Amino acid sequence: MNAHGEEAPVTVAGDFVRSYVITGGRRLPTADDLSLHTLVTLAPDRELPLGSSPEVRAIWDLCGGGYLSVAEVAAHLSLPVGVARLLLTDLFEQGHLLRRAAPPRAQSVDRGIIEKVLHGLESLYG
Amino acid sequence: MTSLIQDPLLWILLVVLVAAVVAVMRARRTNMALRRKNSDLQSAREAVQSERDRLYAEYAQLNAQHAGELAGVRKDAEEDTKAVLKSAMRTLQVLADEQQLIIEKSQRRYGDDEQVLGDLMMIDHTNSQFGRRAQGIAVLCGGWLGRRESTASVYDVARSAQGRIKHFDRVTINTQVNVTVASRAVEPIAVVLAELLANATNYSAPGTRVDINIQAVPTGVCLIVDDAGLGMNTEEKARASVLLSPQAPVDITSLGDPPKFGFAVSGMLATRYGFKVSVDSVSPYGGVRAVILLPENLLTTDVPEPEGGAAKAEPRTEVPVAPQRLTPVATPGGPPRPIGTTAGGLPKRRRRGSPVAVVPPPPEPAEHNNEVTASRIGAFQRGTLLGRDTTTMEGPQDQ
Repeated sequence: MNAHGEEAPVTVAGDFVRSYVITGGRRLPTADDLSLHTLVTLAPDRELPLGSSPEVRAIWDLCGGGYLSVAEVAAHLSLPVGVARLLLTDLFEQGHLLRRAAPPRAQSVDRGIIEKVLHGLESLYG
Repeated sequence: MTSLIQDPLLWILLVVLVAAVVAVMRARRTNMALRRKNSDLQSAREAVQSERDRLYAEYAQLNAQHAGELAGVRKDAEEDTKAVLKSAMRTLQVLADEQQLIIEKSQRRYGDDEQVLGDLMMIDHTNSQFGRRAQGIAVLCGGWLGRRESTASVYDVARSAQGRIKHFDRVTINTQVNVTVASRAVEPIAVVLAELLANATNYSAPGTRVDINIQAVPTGVCLIVDDAGLGMNTEEKARASVLLSPQAPVDITSLGDPPKFGFAVSGMLATRYGFKVSVDSVSPYGGVRAVILLPENLLTTDVPEPEGGAAKAEPRTEVPVAPQRLTPVATPGGPPRPIGTTAGGLPKRRRRGSPVAVVPPPPEPAEHNNEVTASRIGAFQRGTLLGRDTTTMEGPQDQ
C-alpha cells in the first residue's frame, strides 16, 4: 500500500474516480428494483448514447454478449453494487437494457426418495 | 593760533578722530577674530559633515546587515515551519489515503444496501476534500504528491478532480478529446484542477454551474474551467498571476488567514511538472475563466488502464465491441510504427511498447480473426446459456 519512505513519492492506490462522482451525487435506487440476481442484457439494435461515461460503455460491452447478473456487472466494473445498479437503472429506463428475474432456485429433493427410485430401478433392470 | 587751540571745535575734531581711529582698530581686530572663527567653524563643519557621512554609511551598512540577517532568520524559520508542516502533512496524507482504501472496501462490501452505500459515499466525499487540503499544504511546504502508477484519460482526471471539491455536483465536464495523461502528471493535474474548481464553486453563486471544457490545441490539451461568479479585479488578477508563475518558493504566512492556498498550490505544481495555469480571461458567464495548458510531453498515447482492468480483460477477448473501444486510442501513431518514433519523453516510449503489443493485432489477420472471434462468441453464448440452464436443473453452485 503506502510506503512510509521519507522523500520518495508515495504511491496512491485508491480508486482515481470516486463512486459519488460516477453517480453524480444522485440518490441510489433501492435493491428491490434490480436485485443482485436479476439478469440484464442489452436490448437488440440499440446505439450507445453519445457522451456516455466510460462505465456505461463498459456495461454496454459487458451486456452485449448475453445475460449477466447485476452482481456480475458490478464485479466486472469493480464498482460497488449500488453504483452499478444506478447505472443499470438509467440504461433500463432509457430502454437500452432488458432484464429478467433470476432463475428459480432448484428444489432440493429428498435424498431418501432418490435412493428409493434408484433401488426401484435397480430391482427392475439390475 | 591760540584762538585755534582754544577753539573747542578743534578739540572735538581731535577727539572724534582719535575715537574713529580706535574704532577702526577695534573693528579690524574684531573682523580678524571673526574671520578666524569663521574658518575654524568651517573646518569644524567639514569634520562634522564627514563624520555624518561616515555615520550614514555605517548606518546603511548596519541596516543592510540587519535586513539580511532578518531575512536569513525568516527564511530559516519558514524552512523549519515548512519542514515540520511537510512531515505532519505527510502523515495526514497517508492517513487520508488509507482511510480512502478502507472506505472503498466498505463500499464494495456493503454496496448492496443503498442507505449504507450512500452514507459511505458521503464519508468518502469528505475524506477526499480532507486529502486535497493535506496535499495542498504539503505541496506548498515542498512535499510531494502521491504518485499514480497508471495513466488516466483526461476525462477521468477531470472527474477525479471533481470528486475532491465540496460542490462537485455543480460541475459539468464536456470533452471531445480522447487523450491520456502520463502517470507522473495524473495526480498533480487532478490537484490543480480541483483547486481551480474549488475557487470556481466557492466564488460563484450557489446554484450556478461550473463547466470544464477539454479541448485539443496544437501544443497539447487545454482544460478550461468557467464559472458564473463575479470575476476578479485587476489587483486580484495580478496577485493570482504572480502566484501562478512563482519565481521563488511561496511564503506560506503570506497567504492570509484563512489561507488561500489554491493559486499558490497550482503555481508550485505547474512549475514543478511543466504545465501552465492562467486565470486572466473572463468566462462566457461573466466569471473567471481558468485555463490549464498541458504540453505534449505530459500526454501519452498509452491506453489508460481502466479501473479493475484485470476483471475487464476477460470480456474484451470475448465481446467484439470491446477491442474497438481501444483502437481509436491506440492508433494515432501507434501500431504501424511501434518503436517509439513519435515525439515524447523517454519513459513514455518505453511504457508504450507493452500495451500496444497486447491491443488488437494489426489489420492483416483480420478476416481470420473474425472467424475466431465469431466462434468464440458463439462458444461464449452457448456456454452462458448452458450455464443458465444447468442452474435450473442441478441447482445453483452456491447452494
